[in-house]
Amino acid sequence: MNWAEPVVVYGLLTMFVKVDFFRAVCRGLFAASIQEGTMDIIPQIIVSGLAVGGVYGLIALGFVLIYKATSILNLATGQFMTLGAFVCLSVLSYAAVPFPVALVVTLGFAALLGIIIERIILRPLIGEPIISVIMVTIGLASILKGLTQIIWSPDYRSFPQIFPPEPLDLHYAIVPSGLLWGFLFAMVCMVIFALTFQYTRTGLAMRATASNQQAALSMGISVKSVFALSWSLAAITAAVGGIIIGNISGISIHLGDIGLKVLSVIILGGLDSIVGAIVGGFIIGLLENFAGVYLDTLLGGGTKDVVPFVVLVIIIMIRPYGMFGKQIIERV
Amino acid sequence: MKRSAWLFVLPFVALGLTMAPATIPAIASETIKIGAVQPITGRFAFAGVNINAGLKDALMMANEAGGIDGKKIEYIMEDGQYKLDVATAAFKRIMSRDNPVIMYGESTGLGKAMAPEIASRYKILYSSTSFSSELANAAENPYIFVPGPTYADMFEILLNFIAKEKPGAKVAFFYSDTEFGKDPIPASREVCKKLKLDLVAESVAKVGDVDVTSQVLDLKRKNPDYVIFQGFVLSPVAAVIKQCRDFGMKTKFMGTFWGSTKMLLDQLGPLAEGYMGVNPYNYWWMEEIPMIKKIREYTKKNYKDVDYRPNSYMQGFVTGLIFVECLKRAAKEGPINGDSLVKALKSIKDMDTGGLTAPLTWHDNKFPVAKVWKANVEKKIFEPASDWIRIE
Amino acid sequence: MRCGDFKESYFEDEKIFQTFFVKFWLGVLCVFLVVLPLVGNDYVLYIANLIGIAIIGAVGLNLLTGCTGQISLGHAAFVGVGGYATAVLMTRYGVPFWFALPLAGGVAALVGLIIGIPSLRVKGLYLCIATLAAQFILEWIFVHWESVTQGIRGINVPPPQIGDLVFRTEKTFYYITLVVAVLGVGFARNILRTKWGRAFFAIRDRDLAAEMMGINLFRYKLVAFALSSFYAGIAGGLWVAFMKVVTPEHFPFGLSIEYLAMIIVGGLGSILGSIFGAIFMVMVPELLNVVTGATREIYPGLDQLFIPMKDVIFGSLIVLFLIFEPHGLAEMWHRLKSFFTLWPFSY
Repeated sequence: MNWAEPVVVYGLLTMFVKVDFFRAVCRGLFAASIQEGTMDIIPQIIVSGLAVGGVYGLIALGFVLIYKATSILNLATGQFMTLGAFVCLSVLSYAAVPFPVALVVTLGFAALLGIIIERIILRPLIGEPIISVIMVTIGLASILKGLTQIIWSPDYRSFPQIFPPEPLDLHYAIVPSGLLWGFLFAMVCMVIFALTFQYTRTGLAMRATASNQQAALSMGISVKSVFALSWSLAAITAAVGGIIIGNISGISIHLGDIGLKVLSVIILGGLDSIVGAIVGGFIIGLLENFAGVYLDTLLGGGTKDVVPFVVLVIIIMIRPYGMFGKQIIERV
Repeated sequence: MKRSAWLFVLPFVALGLTMAPATIPAIASETIKIGAVQPITGRFAFAGVNINAGLKDALMMANEAGGIDGKKIEYIMEDGQYKLDVATAAFKRIMSRDNPVIMYGESTGLGKAMAPEIASRYKILYSSTSFSSELANAAENPYIFVPGPTYADMFEILLNFIAKEKPGAKVAFFYSDTEFGKDPIPASREVCKKLKLDLVAESVAKVGDVDVTSQVLDLKRKNPDYVIFQGFVLSPVAAVIKQCRDFGMKTKFMGTFWGSTKMLLDQLGPLAEGYMGVNPYNYWWMEEIPMIKKIREYTKKNYKDVDYRPNSYMQGFVTGLIFVECLKRAAKEGPINGDSLVKALKSIKDMDTGGLTAPLTWHDNKFPVAKVWKANVEKKIFEPASDWIRIE
Repeated sequence: MRCGDFKESYFEDEKIFQTFFVKFWLGVLCVFLVVLPLVGNDYVLYIANLIGIAIIGAVGLNLLTGCTGQISLGHAAFVGVGGYATAVLMTRYGVPFWFALPLAGGVAALVGLIIGIPSLRVKGLYLCIATLAAQFILEWIFVHWESVTQGIRGINVPPPQIGDLVFRTEKTFYYITLVVAVLGVGFARNILRTKWGRAFFAIRDRDLAAEMMGINLFRYKLVAFALSSFYAGIAGGLWVAFMKVVTPEHFPFGLSIEYLAMIIVGGLGSILGSIFGAIFMVMVPELLNVVTGATREIYPGLDQLFIPMKDVIFGSLIVLFLIFEPHGLAEMWHRLKSFFTLWPFSY
C-alpha cells in the first residue's frame, strides 16, 4: 500500500527494530548455542515477545491515561477495542475508502464515544466510592458488548489485508507481518502521545490535572474538559489496539477479552506511568512467550494466559506501585 | 408512591409474570413438540444461528409435507448463550413448561451436564451441536445421539488418510483449551499408535488467541508433516498457518468439522493451499444434489437476504431429518415417547437424506460416515478428496 | 419510626425482629417458602434453587465488600473452590454430602485467607486487581490440575441422600437450599451485631481510624475474607450438588461480576439488600427470556436483535442503579415501607 511507503515509516523501522543492531546482538549472544536443542528459538521468542508487548503497551496506555486524569480503571477497555475494530471494518468494507481514511473516521468515532460516555455515565459518579466507578465501567462493558453484537452480529470476520503480508526476516528470527506492522503502528501512536503529552498546552493541562486537581482548577484549567479529553484519548488508543489485534487474529465480539490481561501490564509498570505502560508491555510480552515455550510442556498448556496474572499478584505483594508508579502507599 | 418504589416492585411483578405461564395448565395440543437450546448469542453464536435455522427448516419442511401422521411439529427454541448455567436453565424451563419428546442442546458441556438426568429422569431423545465421543456412548447415554461421526471418528478418518498418503508420517495435534478441543485427543493418540504414525507434538491454544508464536515455535522445532486442528473455528488457525509458512515449514494442515468451513477458507486466502477438512455433510455450492437444491429453494422463499448457508446449517438440517425419521417410525409403532424414539433411532438403516449425506445407518448412537475434503484456493470452496468413508 | 414503638432497653434496640408485624410477615414468608414446592412446577423450583444459592453467595460477598469495604472481583473463583471441594470429597473420598458441604466451605475459607493476604498491604483498586488475578489463576488451576479436577471434563456428582431419601429433583433439593440459605442469612445478620460486625463496619468507614480504636486490621480483614469465602464455598457446594456436575465453565469471571452486581443493585452492606439483589439478578434474565420469547412469536426476524439486548439491559441496570440509587433495592424497600407506615400523612 502506498501510504505505508513514506520515509517516516522506514525511519521508524530502523529506529525501533534496529535490524542490524539486533542481528549483531543475536549473533553475539546465541551463535554458540544455535545448534543446541531449544536454544535456537530464544531470539525468536524475544522478537515475538517484544512485538506483542508493543501492542500491549499501547492498550495499557489507554488505561493509564484515564487513571492519571480521573483515578478510574476502565474495565470496558476491551469493549472499546472491539467497537473500534468493528467500526473500522465497516467503514473499510461499506464506504470502500483507503485504510488511512477509515482509520481517521474510526478515531473520530472513538473520540466522540469517549466524550459521550464520560459526560453521561462517569461524570455523575465523581466523588463516589471506587467500587461504584469500577462497577459502572463493568456495566458499560456489558452494554457495549450487547450493542456491538446487535449491530454487527456475532460472526467472526477477517480483516481486509491492509499491511503487506511479507514477514520480516531478521536472520535469527522472523517477525510475522501482522505483529510487525502492529508493533510499528503501536510505536508510532505511543510516540505521538508522548510528544503531545510533553510539548502541547493540552498535554500540560492533562499533566497538571493529574498531579493536583485543585491546583489545576485554580490555575484556570478546565478539569472537566481534561476528563473528557482523557476518555476520548483512551478510547482512541483502545480503538487502535483493537484494529491491530483484529488485523492479527480476526474480529469477533470476543476480541476485547485481552483487555483484562493488559491489567497486569499497568500494574507492573505503575498505574500512573506512561513509561511504565510501555516497558511493562514489553516485559509481559516477553514473559508470556517464554512461559508459553518453556512452561507449557511442563504444566499442560495455557500458561501464557495465567503468567501475566501471577506476575501481577507478585508485583502487588512486593511493589504495588509498579516499576515507575508514584509511591503513595498508605500502610495500615 | 415514589417512582423508586415502583422500581422496587418491578422484579416481583417480573417474578409473577415469569411464573404465570408456568402455572397455567397447558392446553392439550395436537402438536409434537421439539425443544432446542441454541447458542444464539455468545461465543458460538455464529454457528448457533445457522444450526437453529437448519434444524427449524428441516422440521418446517416436514410440516409442509404433511407432518407426522397428520400432526404438526412445534419447534420451541431458547437461547443458551453458550453458557452452561444459562443453557441448563433454558433446558429445564423448556422441559417443565412444554414437556417436549425431543430436545436439542447447544454444547458439549450441556450434553455432559444433562446426560445423567436425561438418562434417569427426562428420558427423551437428545441430540446436540457437539460431536463428542462421550455423548455417543449408547450404553451410558441411550437417549443421546450424534448426527454424524464423533470428533474421534473424524480424527481417525484423517489419520487413516495420512497413513495411506505417507506411512509413518510425523503428526501433530493442535487443539483448544476446551471440552470441545480435548474430546478426541486420548482416543486419537491410540489411533496414531495403531497406524504407526509418529505423534511428535501436541499444542494447546485458547480459542481466539492473538499470539500463537510459542505454539508455532514448538511446531517448528518438531517439524511435523501434518497438523490437525481441533476445537477452533477461525482464530487462531489462520495465524498458526501463516506463521508456519513464514517459518518456511511445508506442513500440511487439516481440520475436523468446525475447521471445514468456507469462513475459514475466506480468511486463509492463498494460505489455504493444501488445507484439508473432514465433513459428514455436502456443501451449499454442490447444487446438483437434490436436497441442496431443495434447501436453496426453501431459503430463497423464506429468507430473502440469505445467499449462503454454512456447514453448521447442514448439521442442524440433518439432525432435523433424523428427528423426523425417528418420529415417523415411532408413530407407526404406537405412542411417541423417548423410549419409542430411541428404538426408532436404532432401526435407522441406509436412510436417504436426498444426497446431503451418505445413506445414514445407526451405529452405536452415531452415524459415522464422512468425506475428506480439500480446499480449492481459487474458488474458496472445499472439494471432495475421497468418497464417503465409514468407520466401524 | 413506627408510632408507639418505644425502645426501653439496648436489648430491645438490638433485636432483629422488632415488632409484632415484622414477626407476622416473616411467619407468612416462612409458610410460603415451605409450601412453595407443593404448588410450583419444576421450573419455578429450579429458579427458587438458583435464587437460594445466589443469596448465600451474595450475602458472603456483601460481608466482605459491603460491610468491610474490601472489593473482590474473584468471588466466583471461591464459589468454584467450594464446588470442586464438594465434588472431590464426595466422589473420590466418598464423604456424604452433608459433611462435604461444610468441609468445602472450610477449604474455600482457607483459600480465601491466602488470597486475602494482599489486603494487608493494598486496598481499593489494587486489591480489586489482585482478586481479579486470583480469579484467573484459580480458573486456570481448575482447568489444569487434572489429577484432582479432571480438567475441562469436570466431575459428575451423585445427588445427596439420607437413607433412602434421594434429593434428585428440583423439588426435594429446594428444601436443602432453603435450610442452608436461612441458616446463612440468619448467621450473617447476627454476626453484624457482634464485635466482629462492628469491626467490619469500622474498617470500611475508615481503616486508619479503626486501627486507632484498637481494631486489629490484620485479623478482621482476614476474618472477613475467610467468612466471605466460606459462604462462597457453601454456595458452590450447593450449586454442584444441584447441577450434579462441576466444570470450570461454571465459575467464569462473569459470575464474579454478577455477584458484585447483585450486592450493588441490592444494597451494599445490607443483608436484606443481598437477598433482594440475588432475587433481582436471577429474575431479570428470566424475565427478559419471557419477553424475547413472546416477541419471537410476533416478529420472528427480530430474534438476533432481541437476544443480545439482555447484555444491554443487564449493563444498563448496573449503571442506572449506581447513578440514581446507589443504596440499592434495600433503600427503596425502606422508602416503600415508610410510605405505607405513614400513609396517608406522609409528613
